[in-house]
Amino acid sequence: MIGKQIARWTMAWFASALCCLIASLGFAAVGLAGPGGWAAGTAMATVHLFALGWLCQMMIGALIQFTPVLCARPLKMPGLSLPALLLTGLGTAMLAAGFLSMDGWVLGQNLLGLAPAVVVAGFGLTAVMLVPTLLAGQGLRQAEVRMVALALIALAGLWGTGTAMALTLAGYNLLPVFIPDALPLHVLLGTGGFLTLAAFGVSYKLFAMFLLAPDRDGPLRKAVFGMAALVVVLVLGLAGSILARGPRLPLGLLVAVAGAVTAGLYLVEMLRLWRSRHRLQTEVNMRWSRAAMICLAMSAALMVPTFRWGAAWAEAAMFLALVGWLSTLTLAQMVKIVSFLTWIQVFAPQIGRRPVPLVSDLTDARFAGRCLGLWATGVAGGTFAIAVGHPLLFQVSAMILLVAVLGLTRELLAIRRLRHLDPARLPDHLPPLVLPVPLRSSSDDHALPA
Amino acid sequence: MDDLQQAVTAALRQVVDPETGREIVSMGLIYGVTVQGGRVSITMTTTTRGCPLSEMLRQGAQAAVLGVAGVTQASVALTWDPLWTPDRIEVRAF
Repeated sequence: MIGKQIARWTMAWFASALCCLIASLGFAAVGLAGPGGWAAGTAMATVHLFALGWLCQMMIGALIQFTPVLCARPLKMPGLSLPALLLTGLGTAMLAAGFLSMDGWVLGQNLLGLAPAVVVAGFGLTAVMLVPTLLAGQGLRQAEVRMVALALIALAGLWGTGTAMALTLAGYNLLPVFIPDALPLHVLLGTGGFLTLAAFGVSYKLFAMFLLAPDRDGPLRKAVFGMAALVVVLVLGLAGSILARGPRLPLGLLVAVAGAVTAGLYLVEMLRLWRSRHRLQTEVNMRWSRAAMICLAMSAALMVPTFRWGAAWAEAAMFLALVGWLSTLTLAQMVKIVSFLTWIQVFAPQIGRRPVPLVSDLTDARFAGRCLGLWATGVAGGTFAIAVGHPLLFQVSAMILLVAVLGLTRELLAIRRLRHLDPARLPDHLPPLVLPVPLRSSSDDHALPA
Repeated sequence: MDDLQQAVTAALRQVVDPETGREIVSMGLIYGVTVQGGRVSITMTTTTRGCPLSEMLRQGAQAAVLGVAGVTQASVALTWDPLWTPDRIEVRAF
């Protein structure tokens, strides 16, 4: 059946994530978050709208879409995708609002205390779909599957450390934790753990497909997994020790070195993949993924020196990871994925029967490239502003990032509405912008919704 | 190669992979074409086993072959043994 491996709610996950991204950048642009003020409630709300609302929702939506591609089998219990999305979105909103209690909004305390339960319900439903799909058959023999499974372990740790801190801040004595000890581990489990490792796993398969490059599970890929597993075990061990009120283990430098080596090995493999590609003319998503890789390299290179250089450089490294590496990669690939899924929804029934446009015809690559270039400019400005502690420059950078995202949102809408195609090639009915195509039975397999 | 086999191959060359813009024969996705009378059997693959385009490429190839004069029956089977590698792409396809 055509489209059986296409997740129905991907556009809704992406739309929810984009709304969070636009909101978080808007808040940063008006000065609610920035250098020297990360501890404020509004800043914490902004950061979580970005990290949880934007990046985690995008990654979960992408994993629901691409885990069947990685595993070559259908997703287990795909009907849980919508409730997972609703709970994750609600949990993000509750968490963001809850952080305002740190600025004196008393009602926010209850939201902050309850939000982790809602978030874990969303994460849990996601795990119910992904874990059995990943583990079925001999899935764990594949490097990309192992990496995504490791990312999900880090996600559990991310939630655990986040819950302990949220409950502590909300005044509940259930899992008291010293915030300055737990916060770096929480950030590492999210940025370097769940988000980066899931991006590694998905990129192994997708980049080989997009570049027509050999997809080999060689020694380098095994080394990346081994180092990544070491980092996750170390950070989870540190987190467990802190949550159990055990001793503070002096392993921070080891984690930083191991994390930097992991990123370095991954980048070496991606460079080899790029050089072995058969597709010499690359598309906009892959061209701008190179910028994301450069940000990953810079962020990894900063991990160890930040132990000497202080908090501002650590914040700059984290900004480079979240906004430069993960968000640039996500935005660039989102243009491609939305084009690809839209093509399947509209043109799949016609393949082999009449000429059809290419996936790339649905995108204005030049405009998308300009928006991504603007985004990269904002990344550079924001990183510099954080490193030198310049709030106004950070605000200007956030405005640049916001304009770039609004431009990309316009492009995504144009892709969904097929605005770059000759009107003569448009179908009678376009698929819904965000919601899935309604299921209907049909004797013609080609008429089934994607 | 007889005329019908040539016509079938020519029809398959009209089926374009929408992702790469190349037709499926030069992409090396066709593993075998067998013609017996008007009956055609094709074995093909995709660039990766979990490719979301797998079934639509299979049905597209089948529709293209059924459009060839003289073909009375067309069956297209997907296989990933052996797995596709980029080395199967025809020279000068890109």
